[in-house]
Amino acid sequence: MKNDSKKSKKNSQVAGASEVGFEEAKTQGLSQGQIIRRKFFSHKPAVAGLIFMILFTIFVYTAAGIHLGSDNAKFTIHGWWQFSHEDILPPGPCADGCPSSVHPMGQLPNGRDYFAQVVRGSEISLMVMVVIGFLGGAIGTIVGSVSGFFGGIIDAVMMRITDFIITVPSILIGAVIGYRMGNLGVLYLAIFLGLFSWTGLTRLVRGEFLTLREREFVDAARVAGASNTRIIFKHILPNSIGVIIVSTTLLLSSSILVETGLSFLGFGVQAPDVSLGVLINTHQGEFLYAPWLFWWPGIIIVLIALSINFIGDGLRDAFDPRQKKQIKRKEFLAKSGTRDAVNKR
Amino acid sequence: MLAYVGRRISIALLILFGSTYLTYQLAAYSGDPLAGIRESQDPKKEQIMAELIKFYQLDVPPPARYFLWLQKALGFSTGTPDFGKSVLTRLPVIDQIAEAIPVTIRLVSAATVLAIVLGITFGVLSAIRQYSRLDYSLTFLSFLLYSLPIFWVAVMLKEYMAIQFNLFLVDPKIDLIANGITSAVLAVILAGFVSGSRKRVLITFGASFAIFMTLFAVLSMTNWFRTPGLGIWGVAFLGLATSIGLTHVFAGLHNRKALFAGIAAVAVGVAAYQPFGMIVNETGNFNILVFMAMLMLSVSYFIGYFFSKIDKGPIIRSAMLSAFFVSLFTVVDRAMQAWPKYYELSDGKPVQVDGSYNIAMRTNDFWVNNLDLVTHLILPTTALTLISFAGYLRYSRASVLEVLGMDYIRTARAKGVPEREVILRHALRNSMIPLTTLIAFDIAGIVGGAIITERVFSWKGMGSLANDAIVSQDLNLLMGTFSITAFLAVMATLAADLIYTALDPRIRIRK
Repeated sequence: MKNDSKKSKKNSQVAGASEVGFEEAKTQGLSQGQIIRRKFFSHKPAVAGLIFMILFTIFVYTAAGIHLGSDNAKFTIHGWWQFSHEDILPPGPCADGCPSSVHPMGQLPNGRDYFAQVVRGSEISLMVMVVIGFLGGAIGTIVGSVSGFFGGIIDAVMMRITDFIITVPSILIGAVIGYRMGNLGVLYLAIFLGLFSWTGLTRLVRGEFLTLREREFVDAARVAGASNTRIIFKHILPNSIGVIIVSTTLLLSSSILVETGLSFLGFGVQAPDVSLGVLINTHQGEFLYAPWLFWWPGIIIVLIALSINFIGDGLRDAFDPRQKKQIKRKEFLAKSGTRDAVNKR
Repeated sequence: MLAYVGRRISIALLILFGSTYLTYQLAAYSGDPLAGIRESQDPKKEQIMAELIKFYQLDVPPPARYFLWLQKALGFSTGTPDFGKSVLTRLPVIDQIAEAIPVTIRLVSAATVLAIVLGITFGVLSAIRQYSRLDYSLTFLSFLLYSLPIFWVAVMLKEYMAIQFNLFLVDPKIDLIANGITSAVLAVILAGFVSGSRKRVLITFGASFAIFMTLFAVLSMTNWFRTPGLGIWGVAFLGLATSIGLTHVFAGLHNRKALFAGIAAVAVGVAAYQPFGMIVNETGNFNILVFMAMLMLSVSYFIGYFFSKIDKGPIIRSAMLSAFFVSLFTVVDRAMQAWPKYYELSDGKPVQVDGSYNIAMRTNDFWVNNLDLVTHLILPTTALTLISFAGYLRYSRASVLEVLGMDYIRTARAKGVPEREVILRHALRNSMIPLTTLIAFDIAGIVGGAIITERVFSWKGMGSLANDAIVSQDLNLLMGTFSITAFLAVMATLAADLIYTALDPRIRIRK
């Protein structure tokens, strides 16, 4: 609609009328949920990202198995991979620990199987990512929308709390959890990081609400007698869903980077547990003579973050009714039969 | 308004109090500062420990000890702010910070500015060509960059941009295959920016491929990589090309006055090439450079002013941008002339992997010294720029798309405003408002440093100071670095809010 203004001027009459008709034909008789689902599934990179994430999660969790409970009452399902990340094994077929049939990703000098290590690292990183992302996303959206919508004293107080949280460095949280609660494990690290990572999202959501609440449709809804809850959830939130989803996915993908970064510095996941960041940190010096130790965790981090970002992009396109894909003239002509059929009906 | 700012500042102080308090408690409970001595075999262990406890008042519980620290830090006891001494180095914290801040600013500011400029440029481009080939490639690139852990990139940059490049410079000859591949990649990138028919794209690809092939062959044959330089004609050519390109983007080539003003500014710049070379010799310094740049910009301002009768804005902008770039090329050219000397001094390892500068390189040649700084900066700046570039690209693209869907854009188009004006005057300015928050925070974050980057490239800035402080449980040092970072973060929030209100009249301050 924006580019090629000259061209569209020429076809303005045809294009203007056709676009509406086409859009209607595509969505007629469908519920909002169905429209969103269809739009999402027509976004190929997002679908690819979703499939990758599902398969990868299944792969990781089945390979390692499930280990719950404390040392006394263990609930364990063994995975399909023969080694655990804690097993110390005799040297495999390849003397210098390079990838072989027994150890597909190589073996560490201390005898551990690198595949099991990477699987364990991915498991931890995925878990941390999900906890931080959803906790941060949920808190951020709630605080941001309440603060932006009500304004006044509520806004002032909430924003000052946000400012307060922004100033607390995540590296310090990592250090405290690592030192004081190292034995509590990764889940607590993730929860604490999540409790401190909603600030960016809050500000964006609030900004969006501040602009939207001044718009006419909000006044109209209020005049029509809608309650605050209804205005927030039915009128403003759907309009700012794009910002929320984009920032939440960015938060998700950045939280895996935060965790790996903290672990890289030594403040995140503590030994003997491993995460992808810990693995990179441990093996960055071996880049020249054992590059596979460096490549695998990095590639997995990139793939996870990339898939999440694509899923977010697909969701944004699907949720936002304003960002339609431009319909090409050819495409329209090919489908104009559908429109006629609809009009006749 | 003033009352509002005053209230906000007093609240900001309260927040600072709260956040330093929390940080202090967290830090105090995150470890034992005496752990190192407790485990040592020193016979006088008890005595040292008692001394340390007395000196750092460790016998006072942390919730109360914070107030002792605050009292000193605010300067109530001595009259001047005193952040105490570091446990580790026994040096005053304030001196260590004063040493670290310039290093960090040098490290992060270049990357931040580059990321903002590049990110916004490509974001806008991506948005106005939504769903084009370029948009898809940029989106993919930004997602990829956004997904990269910086420490992982850093290790790769060290290997491929420093070690391999230095090896290449030993005998900088590009063979035909390497030349073909590099040129093809560059031509594909360039062709990606071209919109329109397939024929046009293919022509661009072919032409740029041929140009790059010849360029690299000539550079390789003349041993350019060892003795680089642009020369007056190179500066003139690049300046002219940039000037025409920028005029095309910001004013349109049909705006002859803008075009001529830009060319005139380039001409002035080229005329100043020889005098510049004479004035700024080996003992040059930054003051002269800044003075010359100011001179150049004001001359170009007047050029633009005299070329225009009505609508001065685009014409002056065109002249000043041209002047800026022509000056930049002149300076780059002068720096390149110092390259052989620098190369010799650097033992054949011009691109440096570690540290912020090479002590052995403190020569009396201004240009060699600065080349030394720049070559140390290249890797961390590249890494930091790559990472934050992606964020700016995503946000500016989303923001421009949002604005382009607004009714006032349709109105502007409907009343016949040219597309360039619609984008530059109506869309761009409004879409930059949400980005102010991001920019304010990033600028405040400059001083906070980049902990991971500083660690990987062994820089001694604020980030590494904070890192060391946490590792060694050095409370005074930690509080010193974090209170400065927290102060700046709080101020950035305030600044972002004020700028936001000033830029967007729809947001009102409620009294």
